[in-house]
Amino acid sequence: MGSQKRIAKELAELTESPPDGIIVELANESNLYEWKVFMDGPEDSPYHKGRFELKLTLPTEYPFKPPTVSFVTKIYHPNVTNDDKGSMCLGMLKADEWKPSSRLSAVLEFARSLLGEPMPDDAVEGRIAEQYREDRKRYEEIAREWTRKYAGGAASS
Amino acid sequence: MKLDQFLAMEAGSDHDGVIDLRGLEYISDYDDHLMCPICHCPFIRPVRLGCDHVFCQTCLNFAIRTFADGPDNFTCPTCRAPTRDVYLNVPRLLTNMCDDLPVRCPFSSEGCKEVVPRGHIQSHADKYCEYKLMDCPSPSCEEKTRKKDLSTEGKCMHELHKCLRCDTDIMEQDYEEHVKYLCPSLKTTCPDCQVTVFRKALREHIDACPEAIHPCAASKYGCPIKMKRAELGAHEQSCPLITMGPYFEAQNARLDSMEHTVRHLQQRNEILDDGLASIRSTLFESSRAFSAPNNNNDALASTSTATNSSNRRRSSITDPDSSTNPFTNATTYLLSLHESLREEVAQLSHAITDLDARASMAIMNECLRLKEDMAHTNAAVNSVRMQVQWLMNPRLHQGQRAQNGNDSRSATSAGAGAGVGSSNSGPVPIPGLLRPRRLSDTGREGTKL
Repeated sequence: MGSQKRIAKELAELTESPPDGIIVELANESNLYEWKVFMDGPEDSPYHKGRFELKLTLPTEYPFKPPTVSFVTKIYHPNVTNDDKGSMCLGMLKADEWKPSSRLSAVLEFARSLLGEPMPDDAVEGRIAEQYREDRKRYEEIAREWTRKYAGGAASS
Repeated sequence: MKLDQFLAMEAGSDHDGVIDLRGLEYISDYDDHLMCPICHCPFIRPVRLGCDHVFCQTCLNFAIRTFADGPDNFTCPTCRAPTRDVYLNVPRLLTNMCDDLPVRCPFSSEGCKEVVPRGHIQSHADKYCEYKLMDCPSPSCEEKTRKKDLSTEGKCMHELHKCLRCDTDIMEQDYEEHVKYLCPSLKTTCPDCQVTVFRKALREHIDACPEAIHPCAASKYGCPIKMKRAELGAHEQSCPLITMGPYFEAQNARLDSMEHTVRHLQQRNEILDDGLASIRSTLFESSRAFSAPNNNNDALASTSTATNSSNRRRSSITDPDSSTNPFTNATTYLLSLHESLREEVAQLSHAITDLDARASMAIMNECLRLKEDMAHTNAAVNSVRMQVQWLMNPRLHQGQRAQNGNDSRSATSAGAGAGVGSSNSGPVPIPGLLRPRRLSDTGREGTKL
């Protein structure tokens, strides 16, 4: 009951004054619990000029349980799994670290900042994390290539 | 107040007619500190936890009920401090600040323009708001009426009346407005040609009115002329842009289709590019593989980038056998590479099944060992139990004997050791014989408790 009002409120805030490079909409007009998020890759990162689609799923117990964030668009990143799920590892979304007072806009902004500065120590893709640490140039090359290939769209031209 | 008392307090406090303060539209931005961390609204009936964090009463109640570890281990949703107490007294300042926030009347969709402090919205809606929706006074009618439209005689305002002029059914409460402004049978005048027409026909008339100013039909191609419709016909006869119109259309269509093909080609090009890149990389690999044994002093192979020209040159330099016909060789090489890759995949799958079997074996072994260990532990526990029983036997006997024994003996034992008197198992009958035992017993009990 309470969750719907809170979600509607946060959605209204996000659509009215969206954070930099983030666009939010409902995946399905009748379902408040599934959001579609479009995130522009931050400048100074290999994901620049890419537009990534993310899925944000809210539990019915929101805000007492954390939401889950996953990448629909494929992305080469140490903190995003490289399978078709694209699950993202965010520290603040773990059940024991989540606080009901956290805002979804903060979650999304944090996710975007993670694109700019990956956290190889908290990685889900060990191989990419290793490459990020040891061969930064190659990592950026591949990330840029993937961005062009999967998240390009009109922005790549 | 304890948590369970708090939970019980909430039940039954919601009833009809109370405005939902969370659904209100707040006119100004409010301070984040006035916001409940759970519902993100300004606090509504705030309560406080032991750690000084404040929440709405309903929100906290909801939080406690949905808390995963049960109400007994509830922790503050903000700081996670374990908490067992709720305080209903929060600083009056906080309540006042929240109640002072201006909100729009919940009946603004009905026409109420009022903006009042939140603390007064309930009384505004109850007493003053003219737009509040009330039940129709007629018991058979389900409709709602605005308070100001409610007739004094308690008459139902939803009866349908036929408009005398346009033959549509109109509710009584809307009748006046309909007759004055909305009825389609009312006449009106065209703003351009001053002809009087029916209101419902006005739109049609404006589309055809000869006096209305209208742009030239070629305005989308850039003709700037706007004139009255009657004169526009003469202009359109001579307008050069209209004669060009069909040509423009055709060009547009051609452009569209070309864009479409270009997009197709771009996609195909990308696919081919990818394919080419992969072929190039395999060729590069192969040439390196050939060159390594053939001429080790070829520094070029290890350092230069994989551009197309250098690649081809390298393959011709390093591979003298294939220089006559590089393409067939490349194809056969690719085929063989494919073959070898397939073998590799097969080997890998073998290895995986092997690993799987080994892993399950290892797990089974571990399980067996653990089971054995558990059996050992069980046996040990059993033997300990037996020993304890054996040790307890004399004491039990003593207890029985003590019960059977006479008062004088218990009196002496009470005098002998006051510390033993507290234990239920009873005093020891013959102090001289069993004294050390008794001492050790009391000692053990002391450490246990």
